[in-house]
Amino acid sequence: MNLARRFVKIVDTINYRIGRVVMYGIFVMVGVLLWSSISKTFFLPSLWTLEVAQFCMVAYYILGGPYSIQMGSNVRMDLFYGEWSDRRKAQIDCITVFFLITYLGIMLYGAWDSTAYSLQYNERSPTAWRPYLWPIKVTMCIGIFLMLLQAISELIKDIFKIKGVAL
Amino acid sequence: APAIAQSKITWRLQTYAGPALAEHVVKPAIDAFNKVAGDEMEIELYFADQLVPTGELFRAMQKGTIDAVQSDDDSMASPTEVTVFGGYFPFASRYSLDVPVLFNQYGLNEIWDEEYSKVGVKHLSAGSWDPCHFATKDPINSLEDLKGKRVFTFPTAGRFLTQFGVVPVTLPWEDIEVAVQTGELDGIAWSGITEDYTVGWADVTNYFLTNNISGAWAGSFFANMDRYQELPDHLKELLKLAMDSSHYYRQWWYWGGEAALRVNGPKMQLTTIPDEEWATVENAALKFWDEIAAESETKAKVVNIFKQYNADMVKAGRPYRYG
Amino acid sequence: MSHEMIAIVMFSSMMLMLFTGQRVFGAIGAVGAIAAVTLWGTGGSDIPFSSAMKLMKWYPLLTLPMFIFMGYVLSESKIADDLYKMFHVWMGPINGGLAIGTIGLMVLVSAMNGLSVAGMAIGATIALPELLKRGYDKRMVTGVIQAGSSLGILVPPSVVLVLYAMIARQPVGQLWLAGVIPGLMMATMFIIYIAVRCKINPSLGPVLPPEERTVSTAEKLRLLRAGLLPLVIFAAMMVPFVNGWTSLVESSAIGAMTAFAAAVLKGRMTKAVFETSVRQTLAISCMFMWIILAALGFGAVFDGLGAVRAIDNLFTQQLGLEPWMILVLMQLSFLLMGTFLDDTAMLVIVAPLYVPLVQALGFDLVWYGVLYTITTQIAYMTPPFGYNLFLMRAMAPKEITLRDIYGSILPFVMIMVLALTLIMLFPQIALWLPEYVYGK
Ligand code: NA
Ligand code: NA
Repeated sequence: MNLARRFVKIVDTINYRIGRVVMYGIFVMVGVLLWSSISKTFFLPSLWTLEVAQFCMVAYYILGGPYSIQMGSNVRMDLFYGEWSDRRKAQIDCITVFFLITYLGIMLYGAWDSTAYSLQYNERSPTAWRPYLWPIKVTMCIGIFLMLLQAISELIKDIFKIKGVAL
Repeated sequence: APAIAQSKITWRLQTYAGPALAEHVVKPAIDAFNKVAGDEMEIELYFADQLVPTGELFRAMQKGTIDAVQSDDDSMASPTEVTVFGGYFPFASRYSLDVPVLFNQYGLNEIWDEEYSKVGVKHLSAGSWDPCHFATKDPINSLEDLKGKRVFTFPTAGRFLTQFGVVPVTLPWEDIEVAVQTGELDGIAWSGITEDYTVGWADVTNYFLTNNISGAWAGSFFANMDRYQELPDHLKELLKLAMDSSHYYRQWWYWGGEAALRVNGPKMQLTTIPDEEWATVENAALKFWDEIAAESETKAKVVNIFKQYNADMVKAGRPYRYG
Repeated sequence: MSHEMIAIVMFSSMMLMLFTGQRVFGAIGAVGAIAAVTLWGTGGSDIPFSSAMKLMKWYPLLTLPMFIFMGYVLSESKIADDLYKMFHVWMGPINGGLAIGTIGLMVLVSAMNGLSVAGMAIGATIALPELLKRGYDKRMVTGVIQAGSSLGILVPPSVVLVLYAMIARQPVGQLWLAGVIPGLMMATMFIIYIAVRCKINPSLGPVLPPEERTVSTAEKLRLLRAGLLPLVIFAAMMVPFVNGWTSLVESSAIGAMTAFAAAVLKGRMTKAVFETSVRQTLAISCMFMWIILAALGFGAVFDGLGAVRAIDNLFTQQLGLEPWMILVLMQLSFLLMGTFLDDTAMLVIVAPLYVPLVQALGFDLVWYGVLYTITTQIAYMTPPFGYNLFLMRAMAPKEITLRDIYGSILPFVMIMVLALTLIMLFPQIALWLPEYVYGK
């Protein structure tokens, strides 16, 4: 029990902190895109802006994902769900969250596979700027892994809720 | 019958071309293959980025997620020594027949086979497409006009063109038409005029530069090594016939199309950079060849073959080379 | 398993998973991933992740966080309050005037943001309480706000049309322009409806008390200046884009920053507003992106297992339907699916199936984009499931019950269906403007 509590606390704290930092990524994306239009208008267009903006975008939503789960912003189809009691919701979530976990597990497997390839062959983006791809893929691995931990944390919280035990 | 249906071999082949282009460059051959192979085998054709994004295409084939691929080495970013030569290696070939000659008679087949075997992929057959021209929104009449143009092109061609102030941009093939309209791109250096018309790029650009940076695209069919080995011999043979028929279709379709659309095409205005000025680009290409050759032994070997081939063609005179 | 069977199994498991109330992206993603592992064969497990790489390369998605941020800045900083006051004073003397003004407000708001969320937020937090206070009929005004906010994705900029453009490979600029006249037409139809109903039954929308609307002419004119702000933001974003000085994604960043700057200059960018805008932008962007990611994975698996061809085959070969009938069927299926599918999910799952079919049938894809957008908007408003319905429920004051919300939308849905029919019969309503501007 205590182990579970500690797990929830650690995972939620880490993901909260990461999310709070990553949310300012919107300004990084704005900055890159504005620089892109400035450089295009006044100097030569930059080779790197579009790709950097894309990398930022991926980091933004993958690393921010767990925090968005904490905020409850991932929409659910609440035709029935909306009518259920909190306890009932927790019971059903306890089962269906395994689908979410499976999905994230398979994603993580694919992410790891792709990252390993990236490292093995020193994969570069096939563009003129040719950035190495492993940094963004490692970021994605981390984000998906944290998402997986967050899903498990949600499961534990639901179990506590069903048992009527305080966290 | 279900018994036969179950033993039917099914391949997923993803081409780097979108549906409109694939209609010419690959679909007829695949349809023919499927018709002949009947209950024994079916190749399902998928278009650019349909199942996996182009960036992940090689790995997907290496792993077996996709069984076969039609692409050039360069845009698929194969992890091999010969990747830079796929697509448009600047000025490596002048006519579309150069490519099969280089592969079949000058030893490129063997080099490619060796390189791809190392990474678990079967190099099936190389073929040629069209020359590489600029299609742009604003006219290009001099090298000066190239400066600052954001252009969709092949990675290696892009690397080469940066010295002339071109800003190469790589996006998913299917997004190019829209990207020109949303202002992400000023133009395209990816194809000849046939493709510009076929895939709709002629609708979003206004000018076609008659100078090209390569006379013929080089690309190939590839397959996952295990999947290929599992094929019975007669299907391997049928596959070869189908690929050859695809190569042949493209030879006449592009060769005739390029001329016809330059002469009669209503959508693009032709511009030309004078030969003396364009010679700067051709000379830069020779320097670029040497830079690439210095990168590895295999690359040096391929570059030497290009040099040998072009020297032979010059010596042979007309119709191989004029002037 | 046959292709038809795979299509049925995958689709129905997804529906089942959605009904359990698990997060939409988890439900869709899991079905796709499990099918990939079990049915694909070698290497299927890599498909869900490779969709993440595909999504990374979808550059127009960069506009998504920009437009979301813009919407939150506009609604949180209450910039729209001034706009509302403008309509309040100018429209107050008419029966139903405030409701008509709300539609006007929605048109202006939709010119500044790309989603219906911001319109809904502004409508529900600013307009709705005022309307209720003045004794407007709660059912009518709830419908006004829901219907009005649907203009958000029809009037440019529009995120849904950007996503559609990506899927259909159609130019965003033309799609946006194609949405303008249908958007304004629908707004006009809403206004006519409100005016007529309030004329017949003035108690639905009482005239404002004189003491509230006796404002000096100078003051009235001063209020008109509030209307300039949306025009400035719209122009800052659209003028460079249409002229080709900036790209689409760059323009969206400019739009976001212009809205931000406007809020700062008006002294409305408090710490709390900043915090909410930044945090909510992450929350909503993550929601969208994870759904798109999951749906892309689902789509690739669905496609690679032959299910897409099975559906295609069913529509075009086996049923042997006329093109127009297929088109109408598709629209109906959207309405049906919109009753239980989330909007983004519907876009990324269904559009890739339908768009090639529409093209093969010989219809114009820009025109279809407009039809599609209106249809999905109707779908989001119709019970039991609908994105706009949920937002309304979340944002509306307590006195508005779910029953009121459900009841309120019927007349507006009918108007939208009428608009849809008009555009189907007269494609030029949508196509005239883009053809005129781009000289197609
Ligand atoms: Na809008
Ligand atoms: Na609905």
